[in-house]
Amino acid sequence: MKPAPFDYVRPSSVAEACRILDEAGGGATVIAGGQTLMPLLNLRMSQPFILVDINGIAALKGVARVEGGIRVGPATRQADALRDETLARHLPAFTRALGHVGHHQTRNRGTIGGSIALGEPAAEMPATAVALGASIEIASVRGTRQVPADAFYVGPYMTVLEPDELVTGIVYPDWPQGHLVLFREVAQRPGDFALVGLVGALALEGGAISRAGIAWFGMGPTPVRARQAEAALLGAERARIDPHAIARAAVADTAPFDDHHASAEYRRTVGQRVFARALSETLDLRSAA
Amino acid sequence: MNVHMKSVGAARYVGERTPRKEYGRLLTGRGQFTDDVRVPGMLHVAFVRSAVARGRILGIDTAAARDMPGVQAVYTQADLAAVPVTFQTFFFTPAEAPVTLLADGRVACVGDPVAMVIAESRAQAEDAAALVEVAIEEETPVVTIADARTGPLVHPDRDDNIAAEMGDEDSREAVQPLLDGAAHVVTMRVRHQRIAQSPMETRACLASPEGENEMTVWLGCQSPHLAARYIAQVMGLPQEAIRVIAKDVGGGFGLKNIPWKEEMAVIAAAKLLRRPVKWIEDRFEALTASSHAREQDVTLTVGFDGDARLQAAWCDYACNNGAWPMGEDANVAVHMFMWPCYKMPAYGFVTRGWYTNTMGLGAYRGPWAMESLVRETLLDKAARRIGIDPVELRRRNLLYLTDQPHTSTLGVPVEDITPGECLEKLVANVDFAAFRREQAEARKAGRYLGIGVATYVEPTGAAGSMAPMTGETVHLRVEPTGKVVAMLSTHSQGHGTATTMAQVIAEQLGVAYEDVAVYEGDSAIGAFGPGAAGSRQGVIAGGATWRAAQLLSEKVKQVAAHLTNASVEAITIEGGIVHVAGAPEMSRSLREIAEIAYGEPGRLPEGAPTGLEAQYRYQPPPMTMTSAAHCCIVEVDAETGFVKILRWISAEDCGTVINPGVVEGQIAGGLAQAIGQVLLEDMPYDARGNPLAATFKDYLMPTISDVPDFEYLHASTPSQTIGGMRGVGEGGCIIGPPTLVNAIADALSPFGEIEELVLPLTPARILDVIEQRDVSGTRAPAAEAKSAAPIVEEAPLVEAAPVASSSIDGDWAMVLKTPMGPQEMVGHFDTVGATVSGYLEAPEGRQEFSGGTLAGSQLRFEMKVEKPMKITLKYDLLFEGDAVSGKCKMGMFGSAKVTGTRA
Repeated sequence: MKPAPFDYVRPSSVAEACRILDEAGGGATVIAGGQTLMPLLNLRMSQPFILVDINGIAALKGVARVEGGIRVGPATRQADALRDETLARHLPAFTRALGHVGHHQTRNRGTIGGSIALGEPAAEMPATAVALGASIEIASVRGTRQVPADAFYVGPYMTVLEPDELVTGIVYPDWPQGHLVLFREVAQRPGDFALVGLVGALALEGGAISRAGIAWFGMGPTPVRARQAEAALLGAERARIDPHAIARAAVADTAPFDDHHASAEYRRTVGQRVFARALSETLDLRSAA
Repeated sequence: MNVHMKSVGAARYVGERTPRKEYGRLLTGRGQFTDDVRVPGMLHVAFVRSAVARGRILGIDTAAARDMPGVQAVYTQADLAAVPVTFQTFFFTPAEAPVTLLADGRVACVGDPVAMVIAESRAQAEDAAALVEVAIEEETPVVTIADARTGPLVHPDRDDNIAAEMGDEDSREAVQPLLDGAAHVVTMRVRHQRIAQSPMETRACLASPEGENEMTVWLGCQSPHLAARYIAQVMGLPQEAIRVIAKDVGGGFGLKNIPWKEEMAVIAAAKLLRRPVKWIEDRFEALTASSHAREQDVTLTVGFDGDARLQAAWCDYACNNGAWPMGEDANVAVHMFMWPCYKMPAYGFVTRGWYTNTMGLGAYRGPWAMESLVRETLLDKAARRIGIDPVELRRRNLLYLTDQPHTSTLGVPVEDITPGECLEKLVANVDFAAFRREQAEARKAGRYLGIGVATYVEPTGAAGSMAPMTGETVHLRVEPTGKVVAMLSTHSQGHGTATTMAQVIAEQLGVAYEDVAVYEGDSAIGAFGPGAAGSRQGVIAGGATWRAAQLLSEKVKQVAAHLTNASVEAITIEGGIVHVAGAPEMSRSLREIAEIAYGEPGRLPEGAPTGLEAQYRYQPPPMTMTSAAHCCIVEVDAETGFVKILRWISAEDCGTVINPGVVEGQIAGGLAQAIGQVLLEDMPYDARGNPLAATFKDYLMPTISDVPDFEYLHASTPSQTIGGMRGVGEGGCIIGPPTLVNAIADALSPFGEIEELVLPLTPARILDVIEQRDVSGTRAPAAEAKSAAPIVEEAPLVEAAPVASSSIDGDWAMVLKTPMGPQEMVGHFDTVGATVSGYLEAPEGRQEFSGGTLAGSQLRFEMKVEKPMKITLKYDLLFEGDAVSGKCKMGMFGSAKVTGTRA
């Protein structure tokens, strides 16, 4: 279990990294924490000619308040993000979901951007970005662009990222103070990818839902935004919300699959159930539980 | 001899939680595993493996690989054939399928090694291996047991896909009337998934040729002695040609009982190249190409009378042997140990192992564990059906000490087993009535708690029954320094033998535990023993050290008595100091005595040997039984089907407990594997024969979060061995699965039965029961269920051309293929009309028969034999020209094939 031969470069700036990616003509792969890539390299399922190590690029690390939101550098370690007070205060859904990513040991090395760019459909971070309405900052020698998270993912481990492009930031928009977190993950062991999971945020104004962002993970080829559920919630009086009806609407957007850990039917059945429970607990709908 | 005699005044070590001698080395990363060993000039291996489950090799192109940097050799079977290797099983019987080091013309499973690249580094070897081109004409594979029954042949030179079989459909005739007359008949079907053994340290081998014909082999194994004997034997080398070293091994579980294809290929390659060659299996190989385990399909039917007492049972057992099992196996031990702890009047079975195009089967901690799983889950199902408490049902049927001696219907004698006593100990320590109240309350709140109990006995410490299962030896001495050195036949892959054996020696000799050094892990040290196989080392080596330490103590006392003019009886040894009763000023250290014993022979008793040494090889009773009862409490989340283990209590009886920490560690490790088997682990294959769990992302091992803190009760009924120990290595892995399944089934009982137990019990399969529908998409279709019913597999008798009856007269050279190996004999037949008489003659003697009948070309006759036990052999032979073939039914041992030609 040794990787196929590759060249290794450690650029110190985004521009240099982009130039290397451009010159590699599709033969380069970016490594940050390596928590997924190293096993793939060792199994020879990934065989790049050049490994571009972005850990030396200071501009890609850290969490910062920006106009209208929070920008997370893609090379920020998951463990650092998990301890970040700005994220915990302003984006509690992010922090809640991040606590379910891997294990203590893998979070010390794994990065936010690595998780975002990998696009594992059953992972927490891509779904969180979709749910919260994040946008992905992308750079290349051709320039920069911003892609909304829900347009970023196109299939299992497939994103709109071109081979010469680098994720340079994930920008999460501000949510109103006091917004509520919707989270539930069903995984066979702590730290596993989800059999089914959901993450979201709900804002209330005058007893009604003023803003809703919810996404599933493990329920389709990409993170799946629960658009019908979001639409049904928007403007609804909290006391009049039927969590079971919303959960049915939420599952209607999904396209889960069978694997040897669980069937699609299990994912739908349990997904609907945990969605309803998470919603009623989050909104404190005691009667519905 | 009083085997529990203690040296007067000696410190107690047996029974103490003495810190393990291995701790320092292993916990600070200073162990010496095979991969830690580097020798000058060492080369590295990468195997090229088949990506096809079944097919013919059209060509292997190694040219590009040979040209790669660092590559020293690329071998195929054509090259390795220069080193003849005749594979054997763990029991030193021939492997029946034609096992070769690398694929010989055909591949029989995905992962089958086809070629090996040997290079200066593993990375270079892998780079080159990727360039070896193997062209294979793919054929439809045989993947499941159902495929094996009807599909093409896995091994083209065999008659069918039956790897091994015992028992007999006919024996059902004896139990069927009892089942028909039973007040309650309960059936349980268990489909056990395939397990990837997954030791923490994968397989590993470093073969280093030395001198003309010798080789040192560092090997991940379970006994360097057995491995050295095996390697020498299968390669036809003299014993001294092979030295095996295995200081530290990270888990064996049965996988490392014997070196298999890859390890032997590494040894053969080192011999060809005359260079040291190393292979460390990677985790991808370990999961997909190390011998797998389990994968069984079993149906047990049991009849009870109106009082829930056992009446009769019938079992149909099938297991998937894969293509290259480490010994073809129908797992007759499942049946032998199905009922010895219960009062079961009648039992019949048929049991078969099937070849398929999947990775071969190996032994795995408690290889016969299915008996406990299918029996104990059936008993709980029966208790619910009959409406009786599961503990009460067991009380009515278990053998208590007062019921013994007792012999099971299959002839297993027991005289000191304590499953009932363990159950009572459990019941005394777990408030079942309070739990039932809590359970009823919880259900009202929509919470589903369950309690499960299971009881069992286990054969341990086997010696003398089969070739490798021998006694154990200890060589013991007091060095001139006064320190004690023990060299053992044992081996540890985490078993703590260096600790437990030192405890026994320290206590019996009267020295400090810290002053005892234990050496094992090298075939040049100690003497033959099969190592950690069959829960035996504590039992047998424990007895050997116990007695050897007493013998050495006597020697020390004789020298001391002579030096002090005291009687031997007046001498005691305590804390390494030799005392004389009533004369404290005469006390001397063991070191002073040893210096005299080694260096001043003139001061020793007349004729006494110099030095202070003792050796003892202990041959224990043939088998020592361990008993246990376990109890587990779970909560099942009815929304998600998730199981949470709330409490687990073990009440085991392993006789004398040398070190409770080591015993509990063994139980806990087995229970962790049990939890993995019931809830998580699974190595499925797709229809093309591809293993689907190739990394630990998909093969779910239990983690620390999945394993609760266990509670332990020790019953400690001494066995009849020296020291009174009973084996405890495998028990947790045997009794754990039914205990957990029973707790889950109890929690699910408001919803329904687990009618058919398909492992692992994933959350989806648990929802199948809760919702009474096919949530998991894996409920067995009715048609498939039928295929597991006992099917009569009489070989269709070919309508051969009628032969004149007289043409069978005379001598025939025949071979009877018994489970113990092929037996050659001469058959002589005389016909008078349609009646045949004659004899069968083997080196052991001649046995005559009469009253045989000849119908056309089919001869049937019976003969009664006394050895090895009283059974009637029923021959059914078909003659075709100068050839004869057919079978012989051997009572409970099932059918054996007969072939022959005219002599």
